[in-house]
Amino acid sequence: MRPDASVVVIAYNDARRLPRAVGSVLAQSLGGVETVIVDDASTDGTGEVADRLAAAHPGRVRAVHLPSNSGGCGRPRNAGVERSDGRYVMFLDSDDVLDRHACLNLVSAAGETGADLVSGLCERIFLDRPEGARDRIKPWYPWLYRRSAVYGSLRERPDLLYDTLSTNKAYRREFLEENGLRFTERLHYEDLLFSAEAYLASGRTALIPHRVYHWLVRERAVAPSISNRRAELANFADRLEIHRRIDMLFALRGAYELQRVKDAKFVNHDLLLYLRELRDRDPAYRARFLDLAAGYLAELDPRVFERANPMPAIAAFLVREGDHAGALAAAEYDRGKRPELRAPLVERDGRIFWGGLPPADSPGGPLAVRARIPLPGGAGRRVLDVTDFGFHQRPLKEMRPANTVTRLEMRGGVVHMAGHVLNPLGRVPAGAALSATLEFFDRRRPGRKQRAKARIEHRGGRLAWRAAFEPRRRIRPFGFVDPVWDVRLRVRAGAEEMITCPGDGAGSPPLAGVALPVRPRLTRLAGDRLRSYVTEGGHLAFLLEGGLPWGRPARAAVLRAAGTPTGREAWRRVRRLHRSARHLLTSRSTKARVFNRVLSRLPVRAGQVVFECHLGARYADNPKYIYRELRRSGGPFRAVWSYASSPKGFPSDAVLVKRGSWAYYLALARARFWVDNQGFPDGLRKRRETTYIQTWHGSAYKRMGIDQPRLKCGPEAERARLQRMVDRFDCFLVRSEHDVATLVRGLGVRSELLAAGYPRNDPLVGGLDGDPELAAEVAELRRSLGLGDGRRAVLYAPTFRTGPGGRPVRRMDPPIDPAVFARELGDEMVLLVRPHYLCTTRLPPSARAVMRDVGAVPDVTPLLLLADALVTDHSSIMFDYALLDRPIVLHLPDEPTLGAGYFDLERHAPGPITRTEEELVAALAGLDAAGAAHAGRRRAFARRFGEHDRGTAARTVVERYFSGGGRRGGTA
Amino acid sequence: MAAPRDVFIVCNNVDDMGGLQRWAHHMARLLAARGDRVVLVGVTRGTDRHDHHRDGSYAVEVLHREWRLPVLAWRPETPRHRLDLPARVRDLRRSAAQRRGAARLSELFAAARPGAVVIVAQVWAMEWVRLADTRGLRVVGMSHESYAATRRSSRYRRVKELYADVDRLLLLTAEDADAWARDGMSNADHVPNALHVRPKVHPTLDLPVVACVGRLSYEKGVDLLLEAWERAVAGRPGWRLHVYGAGPQEDELCAAAATAGLADSVEFRGVVDDVEDALVEASVFALPSRAEGFPMSVLEAMAYGLPSVAFDCAPGVRALIEDGRDGLLVPPGDTAAFAAALGRLMDDRDLRRSLGREARASVERFRPETVLARWDRLFDLLHSTLPARDEAVPEEAVPGQAPLGRAGEGALPVPEGAVVSGPALEGDSF
Repeated sequence: MRPDASVVVIAYNDARRLPRAVGSVLAQSLGGVETVIVDDASTDGTGEVADRLAAAHPGRVRAVHLPSNSGGCGRPRNAGVERSDGRYVMFLDSDDVLDRHACLNLVSAAGETGADLVSGLCERIFLDRPEGARDRIKPWYPWLYRRSAVYGSLRERPDLLYDTLSTNKAYRREFLEENGLRFTERLHYEDLLFSAEAYLASGRTALIPHRVYHWLVRERAVAPSISNRRAELANFADRLEIHRRIDMLFALRGAYELQRVKDAKFVNHDLLLYLRELRDRDPAYRARFLDLAAGYLAELDPRVFERANPMPAIAAFLVREGDHAGALAAAEYDRGKRPELRAPLVERDGRIFWGGLPPADSPGGPLAVRARIPLPGGAGRRVLDVTDFGFHQRPLKEMRPANTVTRLEMRGGVVHMAGHVLNPLGRVPAGAALSATLEFFDRRRPGRKQRAKARIEHRGGRLAWRAAFEPRRRIRPFGFVDPVWDVRLRVRAGAEEMITCPGDGAGSPPLAGVALPVRPRLTRLAGDRLRSYVTEGGHLAFLLEGGLPWGRPARAAVLRAAGTPTGREAWRRVRRLHRSARHLLTSRSTKARVFNRVLSRLPVRAGQVVFECHLGARYADNPKYIYRELRRSGGPFRAVWSYASSPKGFPSDAVLVKRGSWAYYLALARARFWVDNQGFPDGLRKRRETTYIQTWHGSAYKRMGIDQPRLKCGPEAERARLQRMVDRFDCFLVRSEHDVATLVRGLGVRSELLAAGYPRNDPLVGGLDGDPELAAEVAELRRSLGLGDGRRAVLYAPTFRTGPGGRPVRRMDPPIDPAVFARELGDEMVLLVRPHYLCTTRLPPSARAVMRDVGAVPDVTPLLLLADALVTDHSSIMFDYALLDRPIVLHLPDEPTLGAGYFDLERHAPGPITRTEEELVAALAGLDAAGAAHAGRRRAFARRFGEHDRGTAARTVVERYFSGGGRRGGTA
Repeated sequence: MAAPRDVFIVCNNVDDMGGLQRWAHHMARLLAARGDRVVLVGVTRGTDRHDHHRDGSYAVEVLHREWRLPVLAWRPETPRHRLDLPARVRDLRRSAAQRRGAARLSELFAAARPGAVVIVAQVWAMEWVRLADTRGLRVVGMSHESYAATRRSSRYRRVKELYADVDRLLLLTAEDADAWARDGMSNADHVPNALHVRPKVHPTLDLPVVACVGRLSYEKGVDLLLEAWERAVAGRPGWRLHVYGAGPQEDELCAAAATAGLADSVEFRGVVDDVEDALVEASVFALPSRAEGFPMSVLEAMAYGLPSVAFDCAPGVRALIEDGRDGLLVPPGDTAAFAAALGRLMDDRDLRRSLGREARASVERFRPETVLARWDRLFDLLHSTLPARDEAVPEEAVPGQAPLGRAGEGALPVPEGAVVSGPALEGDSF
């Protein structure tokens, strides 16, 4: 009988950690596991440790000693395979450990599936990061290991090639023997080749989502392990050699598709790892490295650049073409949440390209002149096209252009700083009012900012800035608790704002080592200057340093005290107390409790009305029109508007409160009226004196409330919550009997129903004659959209799509390709693209002539008024637009989802239904004819769904509730 | 077959009339029938006593006659909670009582022969097993509900804590085991429940009856079934819906059926003693549950060759029914689709036949022998040992099992002393 599994533990000069690794094998929940330690001729006594372990566990642990050092992992692993007996073979490195159930999970999965090769999840554990920190544990390619799976061959799941570790797997011994699978012994990264060979040979590969291997990483280690020693060029050459051998292997088997997956993985993963470290290397290394990489990339099938992820593909492409700055900028771009834009961009033929110089269509263009290798026809264009990233239209606050520091020096107690910020695509126009502030902040508490004024101006396509201030007065650290300080430059350009991180770049002087004198608030013992350094990401930062004679011992003493168990415990308690106090004072549940017990006992403020639209998202919809009517009526009232993130765009003559703030809760508690179209926070008990007018935000086609399957199958508590919220309504606006049968029933409304129609639709019915303010708003909108050229405006306003995870799909594309639209309809029409408020759209610059993104227009009513026709799907906007009696086209490309509505849309459609792009183009081309043909249906539709919309809704609401001094109860 | 083992099955209680207790007794009977020595342990006595066809082939033990102390351990979360003296005293008394119960468990475990296994059927019972001395035994924890259901309840935290160190955490479906593995429980595995009926007669599938068997409570979703039935029965006169079971929603559901004008076609038939009576006179089985673990009622219906319609609400349902092959699955909460699926089966006798035939074949996967083989493979792996390389390794024959709750990975296992062997179980343990 043989052991179930053999674990081959390889060790080289690791006497200290070897027992831990072997211990993790001995502690396996699977009993029949043998350990074979292979000592690669260590010189630090590892061999003796191995012998001692073997002696302590006879029959379970064996020690094998190689006669001479092999310099890699290949030979020891091979020796271990030869000298073990287990039915399955696994590998473990002496600095890592196995999960307690690794062998049981892998062996039992192998037994159940009959697999040659079983692989489980590997987790990297960063030992330098504190226990419990979120970034301490990082799973290795977790998306491969979402669920148990069995694959008949690598072709069924080529992505397996991403996980090239040999250690998180169990191999059936006969499988290794029959295929002669062994590690190559002369090259590093033997794992890559071995895994590729094993995957390819395996007749059945099983994956399990269980964690099997803990890869323990010490970032601050003195001698990084082989795989982390990317600094050595030979190392990279080895990696390329391994990749060439894998290429050969695939070519031999004719596995071209797998080859391409592997190439993409090289670009997405391997190359990127090195490129991101290149910033810190010396120029000679950098040049040699890029030569090696370019050589290998030139051998690859150029289709890899289209297959790999966009930014890594750009990086690889530019490495090949010799544009090193552009390549590094691309490699560093997708780091983190808000990546820094370090390369210039250029617009050409309505598209945006990376790297400043427009790529040529054919060899001989400007880029090809610089590059050593001629460009394949048009390939560069496709690879470097970054239009989809939306750099030309994203709000500036979402972008982070590179900020290069060109001056940093101390002169007589004053620090002089200067630099320049990239102005991508000239997004900050030359005439814009510019101002800037330098912000220094404690890295651990980014909220603690200390500011200094900076001057900024346009200069040569960039924004040049400089600042001079006395750090002693401007920057006041506490000391001890805030050792690291970061710096940002906040730039305001007109109404927009962006945040940039000053850092290293072309033309920077050495930025490290400049000392800014400061006075910590706690004591000068904590330090007396901030010394600059450059972070791994290339940004400027500062360390608090001690200058006084006994500053150093003092800090050491504080650190030592804080490091003792008592100190750590005390610090932990302080932090916990701080956290719980903050939670207690600011959490939503606290506010709701205070609202219910204290605030709602305060006297009601006569005439106070709190307005809210879509949870504070904007100033629009029914609440806006009720507010305007109320203002016009001149009654004594005090309007409060709630905003979610920014008060921009809200009326200046109302009191503005941030949703969720204490002021918001106080305003709600003392209000005489609540007016809202979606819902005030759950958990607030509305007092009896307050009247809640719920206007709602549209008639329903899609099922609402408890008519939705989600709520039907959900827990009882969710229904109760909905009912609790709805039961606060005192009035609910309805537009038709359809609303009563759908919305009212689905939401469970039990309040008074006011059959007045929607206030937002008053101008659609009554026109703009009596409303100069709105007429001006529409005219201004028309002007800002550039619609005065006689072409007709068509509004495209679909609702959101639900993605695979049940969440809304964020990205919304125009229904017609911009080029096609320009060709077919561009002379007569402009398409206004309005994504649902949960989505955004990306229009290429080439679409500028024929399409406009109107997603940022807060109120849709003026858009409806100026649109000559509407294209929509089953969005509720059709119910409103039908009142205007202008053409409507329903574009329903994904018809199967339609079954779930309240009525048969096709039967009652107010206009033609289109399914494809061509049909939609045809319908828009024949808009007038179709409009006339569908006039009857359209009117019937408007009558059915808008029977109460008479153009007097706002007045009806105001007369019903607000006249009479606001003293009447709502539900009376 | 493997050598007879000692198997302990520990449940919260073993005599309530619930699905779990039915499973535990069935499992005990199956193991005992092939020679294993089985002890079924209840932490407390149940409130409504039921004998579950106990046949004396296995022992039954109860640790506490009644449990009046707090059900859950005290978890003070704020400084104010910590000052709650009465709660602290109650918790101390609770721990003391628990230790007494655990000592009794240790006695039982000490009598076990080598190769014994403890199956902890519920996470609450694990609190006792954790305190007991389990050296030389292997401990298998179980969760009889879906991952999603546990995630929503207070059990989630307890499963992660109490089952962290058990040798195996068993779920009922592979999908649930994967979910727990993703959540970091690397001991997760699955074994389905075994089929516990042996149909002697089968329905003809010609009677115009749809049957639904289950507790009348919110999560079983009979209200959704009534909603779907209203659509399905329209235009199909003569068809009847038989609802078996009792529960808190009974009156409410009867009233709802009456209001919807379904009084003629829906019959509430109360609790059924033998499920065979209910199934043989039906042609379609409906499972309108909002949440499920591993629905035994569907397993039974399939064994009788009935085609089922169910909401695709849990991995357990998907593990049993393959849509269109041996039953019909519809999106959760979509009553229109449920009605349409019912209608398809009501209209099409051939479809009922083919799905029913497939269902009978499909439940072969859950035959007791097959399920027991899976358990055996697990037991064998857990107790597998290294072959003796030479004669000098007697102590290693039974690898040391450190007590649960010891230090984490990396620690060398504590060397284990002699294997305990004690007197056979006393006769008075029933």
